[in-house]
Amino acid sequence: MKTRPRFGLYALVILSVVISFLPIIWLVLTSLKTSEGIYAWPPQYIPTPFTLKNYINIFTNSPELLLYVLNSFIVGVGCTVVALSFGGLAGYALSRLGMKRAGVLMVFILAVSMFPPVSLLPSLFQNFLKLGLLNTYTGLIIAHTGLFLPFTVWMLASYFATLPPEIEEAARMDGMGFFRIFWSIVIPLSWPGFVATGLIVFIFSWNEFPLALVLMTQNAMRTAPVGISLYPGEYAFPWETISTATVIAIIPILIITAIFQKQIVGGLTAGAGK
Amino acid sequence: MKYSISALAAAAAFTALPSFAEDLVLSIGTRGYGPAVERNIERYAAENPDVSIEWNKVSDVPGETRKLYVTSLTAASPTPDIFAVDVIWAGEFAQRGWLEPLNGLLSDETIGSFNPSLLTASTLDGEVYALPLYTDGIHFFYRSDLLEKYGLDVPTTWEQVQAASEVISAGESNPQFYGFVSMWAKIEGLFMNWLAFTNGNGGGFLDGDGNIAVNSQANIEATQFMVDLLHEHQLAPDSILNMRPDDARTLFQQGRAAFLMVQDFVHAPLSTQDSPVAGKFDFTRVPYFEGHADANSTTMGGWFLGINPNSENKEVAAAFLEHFTAYDQQLTAAIEDNRAPTIGAVYEDAAMSEAPILAQFGANYAFGVVRPSAIAGAKYPRVSEIMQLEITNALHQQKTVEEALNDAQSQIEALFAE
Amino acid sequence: MTPISSPLDRRRHLTGAVFVTPTMLVIIAILVYPILQSIVLSFGQSSIDGSEPYQFVGLKHYAALAGSERFWNALWVTLVFTGLSIPLELAMGIGLAVLMNEHFRFKGIARLAVLFPWALPTALNTLMWRWMYNTDYGLFNAAALQSGLVDRPINWLGDETLAMGSMVVVAVWKTSSFMALIILAGLQSIPRDLYEAGRMDGMTRWQEFREITLPLLKGPILVALIVRSMDALRTFELPFNLTDGGPVTATESLSLYAYKVIFDFIEFNYGAAIVVVQFLVIFAMSLLYILTLRNKD
Repeated sequence: MKTRPRFGLYALVILSVVISFLPIIWLVLTSLKTSEGIYAWPPQYIPTPFTLKNYINIFTNSPELLLYVLNSFIVGVGCTVVALSFGGLAGYALSRLGMKRAGVLMVFILAVSMFPPVSLLPSLFQNFLKLGLLNTYTGLIIAHTGLFLPFTVWMLASYFATLPPEIEEAARMDGMGFFRIFWSIVIPLSWPGFVATGLIVFIFSWNEFPLALVLMTQNAMRTAPVGISLYPGEYAFPWETISTATVIAIIPILIITAIFQKQIVGGLTAGAGK
Repeated sequence: MKYSISALAAAAAFTALPSFAEDLVLSIGTRGYGPAVERNIERYAAENPDVSIEWNKVSDVPGETRKLYVTSLTAASPTPDIFAVDVIWAGEFAQRGWLEPLNGLLSDETIGSFNPSLLTASTLDGEVYALPLYTDGIHFFYRSDLLEKYGLDVPTTWEQVQAASEVISAGESNPQFYGFVSMWAKIEGLFMNWLAFTNGNGGGFLDGDGNIAVNSQANIEATQFMVDLLHEHQLAPDSILNMRPDDARTLFQQGRAAFLMVQDFVHAPLSTQDSPVAGKFDFTRVPYFEGHADANSTTMGGWFLGINPNSENKEVAAAFLEHFTAYDQQLTAAIEDNRAPTIGAVYEDAAMSEAPILAQFGANYAFGVVRPSAIAGAKYPRVSEIMQLEITNALHQQKTVEEALNDAQSQIEALFAE
Repeated sequence: MTPISSPLDRRRHLTGAVFVTPTMLVIIAILVYPILQSIVLSFGQSSIDGSEPYQFVGLKHYAALAGSERFWNALWVTLVFTGLSIPLELAMGIGLAVLMNEHFRFKGIARLAVLFPWALPTALNTLMWRWMYNTDYGLFNAAALQSGLVDRPINWLGDETLAMGSMVVVAVWKTSSFMALIILAGLQSIPRDLYEAGRMDGMTRWQEFREITLPLLKGPILVALIVRSMDALRTFELPFNLTDGGPVTATESLSLYAYKVIFDFIEFNYGAAIVVVQFLVIFAMSLLYILTLRNKD
């Protein structure tokens, strides 16, 4: 534990923070500029004049943006809950229950996640169409779950692997069923891991684009990233609207990230052993 | 469950049951035809209360929308019932069986009211597969104040453009000022640009006999001019090779260019109150090379509307389609949204005097040239890609102009031989 | 695990199977099935108007790929991008992790900042960078010109070499944080007394790092490498939104090329072949990592 102020350390930290925040700050500044200000040369570093016009315009001209954000939220929460449930069970089984060929299954799960999602589009759409799952929350939630389960299983499995086995063994000696062990012992013990993984999956789902574009074609069902992609025109790229819409769409994520940053860091922290 | 409108009306008349609403799903971009879409839907709904229309807004960026259509049409999805296609997709989609032939659904009179040369883009083996909704083209915008300042006439030939650019650039002596900007990124618009230059020299995609001749002498000269404009005379910024139409427009709007070559849409943003060049610019027809005053150098674009062949409501869709593209709707769109009509008769309407800019655009369309999408059909995306790639190679000086165009020619010939 | 067939073990295996089933069902429906469809597609050919849906053509598309200059270019671009960005991300990630592991005030905000880039949607993220890289009115050139560093605007995204570099910068910016978090995990599980022992032996910080930290980080580094390499080899949103594969095809990754073939040219079969080859490359690379880093024991 050093007591003298470490300027080098603080300088590096500040530098990292600035670089990390830079594009976002630029985005927010852009959303506060007038059209003239956005395209001015030399560029304005500080919005002059400062205006909230873009935000007002978005809410009056495209109030559906909020609906899109809500849809993203519903799909995100749904996907997270399902992924954690299924992934938790599977991760526990593969890391703790000593299944035969657990390793093979883990590798298989990892392998199938290696395909680029864009190439899955045509056949996923076709299958969903036949099953009547298009433009439903259920459909997109299942699709997202499929995309993010491999990651969830791996993360949670590696989490469970770090828990001391004695507690579970004691419970088994007492005659507890596996599911009860999982539910009342393992989950509480690894709760930070669940929270962290869940948050990451939520962020993945929020940001997902190609599947959301294709599986939700009705306006009212669109998610936020897809909704924002509606703003650019064939020829024109309205930075005013896009920067503003982007800021609005990422606010929920930023809030969640801010509140739970301890868990996210802690979660990824402990789960990355294997 | 399929009820036709007439059966519904009969049922409603004879019984007290509530009538089913037909559901039509319309898929069209939000910006391109935006305000007009809402208007047209409302008008139609007012006259046809038992048809409900759902508007699935899609991106106006053709690539994004295309992804959606390719996916849903491959899966034979019954919705959207009606969708908008870029003019260059019409022939391709028709060939793939992704558009319903309209001759059986609409009267000959209706179909015949549209501009015949536009219709060729969506006609295959004598059948029409989509109706043109609006059209646009490439124009040549100039800074009238700068031309006046240096005592120059509005250039009509490329040679004059070059001379004028040199004079103005030298005079302005601002390193951030450029003579000429356009959309020369590796995009469809580049192909359109190239067609304007080459046709302006008496060349083009096809030769006089209708054979593919992208490496003709006239084309080589015109393309070389493009390369020289950028590299030898340095009249365009290096970044022109990254520019989409909006990037070029922005540069011009900042007052950093004398000449701008892009589509009609720029007129609105350039004329807004806070635009530095408002009131200081005007536009004319795309220039030609000396000796080719009658060249068709205005490359045209536009969007069409068609019916999904898997739709379960084709007759209703056809009625809606007819209404959407009808004379009255196009006239309103012309006056209020500056959308160029595709029914020739609309231009003669007295009310068009309220849209003088549009009339000026229209005058340039008389020198219009279209891309070879109808000829190429489903192969058009490949053709366009080959052209974009080779033209870009030439502009980046990765290949000489001759090499690039020769390569393009042989690749396209191989493609059609398949 | 030596299989002892006691009733308890059998019950354990059965429970395991039941627990794993929901996951496998979803994965099979969403991932495996379309992948199989892709593989099958890659060995066939359909007609343009869909009248002949499938004809088996064997390795025709793979042969065409082997002879396609554009394919090899895409493969090269993808490998170069991965080769450049992964080491940089790793280095930055380790650096950031070490930084975040220290105690200082405002650790919370710092960790937040480090998380931000990764939490944003890639597409929107990339568009922001595109705006800043803009040659004529972007932030970077404005700063460069105004400070007198250069007298002509730099064509960040339009110059062949610079474009790849610009793309790598965005990738490193976005994912260093992800790497950092995974590595921070490992760092926090290294027992402190190892460091104390090292300090008593008179090790410098750098020696501490090399002799104690790095070897014990191998596990997390492996995970980070595999995950990031998989993503880098599949990179799509970044080149799509930043450079559209340009200039010419200097930044056209395999995924971008496959996308063009599938959605622009509408050649599902040829596109499927590209995707299958891409998958094999990714798989091979993952195996390589695992074998190499395992053997270092």
